[in-house]
Amino acid sequence: MATPSLSFSRPTFAKLSPHPYLLTNLSPQSPSTKPSRTNGRAPHEARPVQIHTSSLSHAHGSALVRSGNTTVVCGVRAEILPVTNIPQYRPRSSLQPSSTTTSDDDDAADRAELKTYDLLVPNIELATGCAPQFLPGVPPSSLAQTLSTRVYSLLHSCGVVDPKSLRIWHDPSTETKNPDESMQVDDNDEDDEAEPPQLMAYWVLYIDLLFVSFDGNPFDAAWTAVMAALRDTKLPAARWDPDRGMAICSRTKKNPLDVSRGGLPVACTAAVFQEKEYAEAGGLGGENRHWILLDPDRLEESLCRETVTMVVDCGEGETRIRSVEKLGGTVIGRELMRGFVGVAEKRWSEVREAMK
Amino acid sequence: MAISTEPEAALSVLPRADGSAKYSHAGYTVTASVNGPIEAQRRDEHAYEAVVDVIVRPAAGAGGTRERHLESILQSSLSQIILIKNFPRSLIQIVLQIESTPENDYVNTKLVQASLNFPIIPALLQTAVLALLSAAVPMRATATASVVAVVPEGQTKRMVVDPSPRDLDIAKSVHVLAFTSHDELLLAESEGDFTVKEWDDVYETAQRICCRPATTAETDMAIDDEAAGPDMRHFLRSTMETKIAADLHWK
Repeated sequence: MATPSLSFSRPTFAKLSPHPYLLTNLSPQSPSTKPSRTNGRAPHEARPVQIHTSSLSHAHGSALVRSGNTTVVCGVRAEILPVTNIPQYRPRSSLQPSSTTTSDDDDAADRAELKTYDLLVPNIELATGCAPQFLPGVPPSSLAQTLSTRVYSLLHSCGVVDPKSLRIWHDPSTETKNPDESMQVDDNDEDDEAEPPQLMAYWVLYIDLLFVSFDGNPFDAAWTAVMAALRDTKLPAARWDPDRGMAICSRTKKNPLDVSRGGLPVACTAAVFQEKEYAEAGGLGGENRHWILLDPDRLEESLCRETVTMVVDCGEGETRIRSVEKLGGTVIGRELMRGFVGVAEKRWSEVREAMK
Repeated sequence: MAISTEPEAALSVLPRADGSAKYSHAGYTVTASVNGPIEAQRRDEHAYEAVVDVIVRPAAGAGGTRERHLESILQSSLSQIILIKNFPRSLIQIVLQIESTPENDYVNTKLVQASLNFPIIPALLQTAVLALLSAAVPMRATATASVVAVVPEGQTKRMVVDPSPRDLDIAKSVHVLAFTSHDELLLAESEGDFTVKEWDDVYETAQRICCRPATTAETDMAIDDEAAGPDMRHFLRSTMETKIAADLHWK
């Protein structure tokens, strides 16, 4: 659709002056043509998500998420952390193996437990070669550090992982009461009947994300991969062996990780593209049209300053917002933010379909 | 816990920096220095605009991923209000040193934490704006920020402005909102579990703190008791007025 005055090809135009290139695509000459982005999508159109789980054989749970040309692999590896190895470990007297947390106080204590003992360790690596801007042999870029902080914060604030499924108990009196822990028990440790069950160790989940290819919108892809991998995670049934002083895992029996409590939070990101590249943002600059581009790719991200990310969960009844991050501009105000909830809800149902 | 409710600030506290400010509010104390516009390094410089470089130093320990995240939030917000186009190929460097943060007396807090620290963002932003004003860096607008937590209270929920660490532990959701002096939403960060309606209420509360018009601040300050929280815009203005009056005292 090159105009006659254009003597060079589309890729050359895009490379030479990316901002006018995207602007020309978004504001077509004839009113009959719909505005589209350089990647052929409509402004409010996101890339379809593809999810494959359990593709890594040595991880306890894994997922590969593809959204356009952004591909991210997430592996969850669980390691056992005996409580004796935790500095400043403080046992909670109210904890019981079968206790269900209902009150708000317990909920807050559970959250604090995950946080103070560092039971969730996400790490994001933007691999060399996944996009031209990432150079080899440098320390983690500020983008990678920002992403892992955001994933870490969201994992904790959503309460995705139930700490109950990360605890490894030693129950001298009632080994047989817990069928999942008694698979390969020799029943040789029944010396004290009255002893209450003791919390001996925790599972620590190392959640590693690797960007195989990077084409914008890293947070949405990373978060989808984390959620898919955690839902796929199966921890081996573990019991505490007091004689050897270590946790013993079952070879065959695996328990799926409980991630039901956090629901299914889905992230949805958009960027704001402004007509004037170096204009005053708003106010004094006069008329400055803008487009809200859902699920921006790498070219669009480099041209947009303002981004908004909303994490929503529409699982039960009213839409719950789990996180909002809006920064870098003043275009999106209260009204646009409200409208964006609807866009995020649509994205949520798309991602939920892909998760099934 | 003696936590001051009124914000306090001092300008030009560091003699050798181009501009500096010290700000304390709700238990947080931050010192900022601004140098700029200075020459940017070749690999950082931008042909059409100034590079804004924000460095956050924690009160204890070396900076980690959390500080990088805070830096990126502040960097993108401050580049919106500084007239960066006026200084191509130059650098405006803002260094923020956190001096003290309120402690939660009920629990042992770890020194290094990876999760995002919401209530520090307004203090950092406010200090940076004051230091930029002190350095006379041209800006499109000033900015004010506030933090609001939604805390459950029995069956109902209550909004707490400038929540204490104890409030934050039990809060259902925490929100940081920043507005420019043109009443535009500059920054919105929220986490927790909330609905659109709750976010709207939080928005109104934060707007009342950040964007109270200057006229009402003069006249009905005394009777305006239902509007909880300090008036940030008035605070910013009076701090600058005091500083200018002191500077021009010799005349």
